[in-house]
Amino acid sequence: MSESTAPLLEVRGITKQYPGVMALKGMDFDVRAGEVHCLLGPNGAGKSTLIKCISGVHAPTEGEILIEGKPLPVGEPSQSMALGIGTIYQELDLVEDLRVAESIFLGHEPRRLGLLDRAKMRADTTALLERLEHGDIKPDMFVRQLRPAAQQIVSIARALSRNVKLLIMDEPSAILDDGEVEILFGVVRKLTADGVGVIYISHRLDEIPRIGDRVTVLSDGRTVATGLPADTPRAQLVEKMVGRKVDQLFPDRAKVAPDADVVLDVRGVSGLPRVKECSFQVRAGEVLGIGGLVGAGRSELLRLVYGLDKPNTGEVHLDGKKLPAGNPAVAIERGMGLAPEDRKSQGLLLQWSLAKNVSVADMSRFTTAGFINLREERKQTGEKLRELNTVPDNPNRITRELSGGNQQKVVLARWLLRECRVLLLDEPTRGVDVGAKAEIYRLIAELSAAGIAVVVVSSEMEELMGLSSRILIMREGELVAEVDGSTATEVELLSHAVAPTDTNVVLEETR
Amino acid sequence: MSTAEAAPPANKKAAGSGKSFDIQEYALVGVIALLVVAGTILKGDSFLSTDNLFNVLRQGSIVGVLAIGMTFVIATAGIDLSVGSMLAASGVAGGLLVDSGSFAFIVGAILMGLALGAVNGLAVAYGKVVPFIATLAMLLMARGLALWMSDKTPISLFDLDAVRWFGTGEVIGIPSSLIVFLAVAAIGWVLLNRTPYGRYVVAVGGNPEAARIAGIKVRWILFSVYALSGLCVGIAAILLCGRLASASPVAGNLNELDAIAAVVIGGTSLAGGRATIVGTVLGVITFAIVFNLLTLMNLAVEIQSITKGGIILAAVLLQRRSSS
Repeated sequence: MSESTAPLLEVRGITKQYPGVMALKGMDFDVRAGEVHCLLGPNGAGKSTLIKCISGVHAPTEGEILIEGKPLPVGEPSQSMALGIGTIYQELDLVEDLRVAESIFLGHEPRRLGLLDRAKMRADTTALLERLEHGDIKPDMFVRQLRPAAQQIVSIARALSRNVKLLIMDEPSAILDDGEVEILFGVVRKLTADGVGVIYISHRLDEIPRIGDRVTVLSDGRTVATGLPADTPRAQLVEKMVGRKVDQLFPDRAKVAPDADVVLDVRGVSGLPRVKECSFQVRAGEVLGIGGLVGAGRSELLRLVYGLDKPNTGEVHLDGKKLPAGNPAVAIERGMGLAPEDRKSQGLLLQWSLAKNVSVADMSRFTTAGFINLREERKQTGEKLRELNTVPDNPNRITRELSGGNQQKVVLARWLLRECRVLLLDEPTRGVDVGAKAEIYRLIAELSAAGIAVVVVSSEMEELMGLSSRILIMREGELVAEVDGSTATEVELLSHAVAPTDTNVVLEETR
Repeated sequence: MSTAEAAPPANKKAAGSGKSFDIQEYALVGVIALLVVAGTILKGDSFLSTDNLFNVLRQGSIVGVLAIGMTFVIATAGIDLSVGSMLAASGVAGGLLVDSGSFAFIVGAILMGLALGAVNGLAVAYGKVVPFIATLAMLLMARGLALWMSDKTPISLFDLDAVRWFGTGEVIGIPSSLIVFLAVAAIGWVLLNRTPYGRYVVAVGGNPEAARIAGIKVRWILFSVYALSGLCVGIAAILLCGRLASASPVAGNLNELDAIAAVVIGGTSLAGGRATIVGTVLGVITFAIVFNLLTLMNLAVEIQSITKGGIILAAVLLQRRSSS
């Protein structure tokens, strides 16, 4: 990238004041045509606010945003769009019941004599997808049939259909597994070769040198370093981001006594359509990792173990006693806890206070003669929140206002309070920044050291290798391999996770 | 607080549970004040008479008791369309026992209310029938049951003094039906705000999946709110029959709509996950006053209907405004 390239986007000293909060305290950075500029920062650093200012959803309080040297009209999403700024949000915003072509042209359908020009729509869709080298996605497929990566590509094609010059991607890889991320990167490289500038937001540090040209680090509403080369050493980036040195992301693995009691014993559990005959055991104090590709059936397996779904066959034993099928209330009673994959839709009541979310699974602790002791509830939930360094740790705060990492700590605080024996964690660090990740890892290690059996499902191989004593690999609904956590390599895990014949990356297998 | 970032900007508004409904409740208090002022100016003599005010509150109490049960149902994102018909069926069921005295009437009415509510609960929670449809079916069945059991004629309860006391009696000058309503509301408030059960109800309405993962017995909670609504119907039936001194199979027609309207303008969310008993009580009072003013002003029934509908729409629009 030559220095003479005029910046496509220039952000100069923008601030954003919300009632009571200064979300942006001065940000500067620029994006050149044809480059991938990564934005890195802990949750709550102001990344989302910055994006919303650029895409016109919010107007900045001070400062200016220039697009190709001209000031961008602020607070006008349609103007930003017309000037070639496209945004792909973390939660895919495609309508699942539409076809690919309809999704891409939603809101700006080609018309002929006032009617939809379906033929042109299909032809243009094919052209766009071929430009992204994904002719394997057909215009007539339904969005819900597509795998997450293919859906991302449709989102990108939609941005392209509006002649995008600057594409903002907010954690696009969060819901993808490693293989799918590679597909996404291929598309991004294709875009930049065509001169599109990309703002790429990710929590996965390893992605930055792979896809980025430059990187800007945000912290607490400010740009703490801007325009660094993407191959800046990782430790240095982390240090800038959290403002201190994080010497060790993963804590030391606790030694599991080989004669420790088997706490959780899963015997031949099957559940349609994804989970086939899965058996495993977890001992007290052990961290068992479960890896595999997205869609391999890992979350479904956890749901069966926890009793959220009823298995077709198989049994789950806790402390040597059989659990009734399909009854999470009993599982919890006997000491199981689950931190689900999607905390927002499954784990938490976002409109509730932190105290209520922490106490909900253990109300009897705060109940005297049938009435809730609110003071005691606030006191004890506050203690757990503080123990986990939750920010904020005031139990009266509304859960919605917290960042992803802190919301995850609220879920964990719930199970800490209950003093459970088996903790099932489904993607515990998805969308969580490095600082909070390290804390969650430390917590997992502490819990297992205290004798709790922990099962971690993760799409990040590194996380599994850093935490688990054993790693099981799930593929197409079956547990296909068991690997020792301390000696496993990424290549080894991936080779088990990907079936030799599994080449269809576009279509989700029929549900 | 250990960290500097924890400086809490939103502390004030989150100082206690349920505080977020305050705006709505204050707004309703203002509306009620306005209505009283309007009533005083328009029809000062008749509106402000003790007789009239008590009449307003007696009428309001019956819908009020229904609305308390409805608040719990709506908190779970459900709806109970059958309370009006169940009201008639409960009254008639008690009326069949008229010869056995007041106590038998009361037991009969409450048991019938509970039983019909339980059927709703079974259909919704265990039969997975959409609440709208399950209770719509009950609306038809309960009305038919009332007509069938009574042979289409009202049953006189003139001899049941205790039942009539609930409808028309007073304690130190306060109508007994108002006392019953306020007692039901107070119990409802405690149940909703101070017991685990109330938490679970709101949790199930706000996010059934999260509630299940947290170990809440979602189906049992769903079942229980419809049974609770049925119980409230039984209590309301005693107040209604006492007031009319008869159990009529055509009583309670469209009362479900009054109850739902009162709950919704009170600020409980039809989408579930947000409920307020205080709001419901204020909503009931608002409606009772409006209804009374319209009657005092001798407006035609059709104008009354249009006005009531307009008020519901305005109140819900206002709710949107203040909650966003």
